[in-house]
Amino acid sequence: MMAYGSPHTSVRGHEGQGKVMELMYEMEMAAEDILTDKQQIIDLDRKRQKTREAIRVLSKDHKSDKHWVCVGNMFLKLPAARTKTVLNEDFNKLDGEINSLRTNLKQKVNKLRDLEMKEDIKGFNLTPLSKSDLQHIDNYF
Amino acid sequence: MAVPTADKVQEIREVTRIERIGAHSHIRGLGLDDALEARNVSQGMVGQVDARRAAGVILEMIKEGKIAGRALLIAGHPGTGKTAIAMGMAQALGSDTPFTSIAGSEIFSLEMGKTEALTQAFRKSIGVRIKEETEIIEGEVVEIQIDRPATGTGAKVGKLTLKTTEMETIYDLGQKMIESLTKEKVQAGDIITIDKATGKITKLGRSFTRARDYDAMGAQTKFVQCPEGELQKRKEVVHTVTLHEIDVINSRTQGFLALFSGDTGEIKSEVREQINGKVAEWREEGKAEIVPGVLFIDEVHMLDIESFSFLNRALESDMAPILIMATNRGITRIRGTNYQSPHGIPIDLLDRLLIISTVPYEEKEIKLILKIRCEEEDVEMTDDAMTVLTRIGMETSLRYSIQLITTANLVARKRKATEVDVDDIKRVYSLFLDESRSTQFLKEYQQEFMFNELSQTDTGTMETS
Repeated sequence: MMAYGSPHTSVRGHEGQGKVMELMYEMEMAAEDILTDKQQIIDLDRKRQKTREAIRVLSKDHKSDKHWVCVGNMFLKLPAARTKTVLNEDFNKLDGEINSLRTNLKQKVNKLRDLEMKEDIKGFNLTPLSKSDLQHIDNYF
Repeated sequence: MAVPTADKVQEIREVTRIERIGAHSHIRGLGLDDALEARNVSQGMVGQVDARRAAGVILEMIKEGKIAGRALLIAGHPGTGKTAIAMGMAQALGSDTPFTSIAGSEIFSLEMGKTEALTQAFRKSIGVRIKEETEIIEGEVVEIQIDRPATGTGAKVGKLTLKTTEMETIYDLGQKMIESLTKEKVQAGDIITIDKATGKITKLGRSFTRARDYDAMGAQTKFVQCPEGELQKRKEVVHTVTLHEIDVINSRTQGFLALFSGDTGEIKSEVREQINGKVAEWREEGKAEIVPGVLFIDEVHMLDIESFSFLNRALESDMAPILIMATNRGITRIRGTNYQSPHGIPIDLLDRLLIISTVPYEEKEIKLILKIRCEEEDVEMTDDAMTVLTRIGMETSLRYSIQLITTANLVARKRKATEVDVDDIKRVYSLFLDESRSTQFLKEYQQEFMFNELSQTDTGTMETS
């Protein structure tokens, strides 16, 4: 007879429920964030690979001095050198974006683990060892 | 004893691994709640509430890294859970923290001196966390196209098409890469990994979609799913190695093999100093983290005065692990001297220790422990049998009654029963003597035994309480 959210429910019960909901909300947000980032990395990598293919094709083609470039929904004809520059800039930009996404991803995963009351995954914030460093322990791995 | 440590690897055979049920394999942790209060029965631990609480406090300090170079002593009667508490701490610390367990008498060996054995034990308990990072290209080979030039002397050219579940792309191949691919015999349908930095190609297996390509395939063919996600991935691996492992690898040319054979021998101090320097350098550069672990020395009264002096000094170093010692001796002679001292440990070392004492179990606790052991050893017992066993445990010792569990189970199985009953317990009780009955027997029949030198004045010399 009493509706679930009726005003006669004890205030403390409501508070507890609210807190759980809040926590779940935060967890879902954090998880969603991570999944979005992962998907974005995939999309950026796809673009990066295509850009790389284009750069390869252009570097082998020495005949034509102008190339068709599709920008948004327009087709432009650009001189060869210019096209190469644009593509290289694109490639570097994509590279940088992917790397920064990956670095941020680690922090986001730790934040999610924190919300889930799990311990942080240790060690991923360390600077990676260089090749010469690895010589000291490389054989073991 | 199945203690998770960075131990030597045993001979690898292709046999299913048999899980050994050791005396302490039922312990999963210290069984404390969030307020560090010990629950009476939890994670395999029963009773001994004070000692467990103390151990829990120490554990928190270890986790926060605030106790490096300190030492702990767990002292109590035999069979009161000293080793169990140490095991509980090891499990609670997790697999990331190095936990080395040795018995006091292990340091005496012909192969290396006592201080060397102790130094190695210390260094096995300090971990170094490092990270390796590589960019790799991982995908399923759709097509490989390699063209040999018509003239016969030019360089080969090639194209490699790789795909994942999300994308596909074509790579232009250079001379070296074509050679590697041909050497690895990479075909369409293989799943490969190419390390961007070294150019190394690793075959992970064949794609499931190509499983039906041929009717008969080699015995080594492994089928793997097509990789997901992006083609060019960043692979980061975090390793925790112990200082001892780094020492061994650097102490001679085929150093890493010594880790597996166990024949490490003495390691020069120059090598150790070099390693310490290198690790300190890495710490400065943010490339490594020191993970101080735990060194557990059981039967510490077996160490002699020289080893104790060494321990004193070793604890002062800034890269010292936490030392946990256990002993069941009371006031005993320190080995190597003629002086008596509590627990057989010199007073100056005792001064540095935090001491936890364990008390003998009560009847209810013994019953609970026996129940947990029965579950662990997969033995069903009737309630009457359990009561009898508890009585035996009270009168003789906890260990003796634990031993009776499996033996009684075997006797029960012989008479085709599924549960152990009072008669089975009685049978094994009469078959296997405990310590007091054995001593009784010896005293009565001492004339019959060979080399018997037990004289009337020489009774009860060993202080075991």
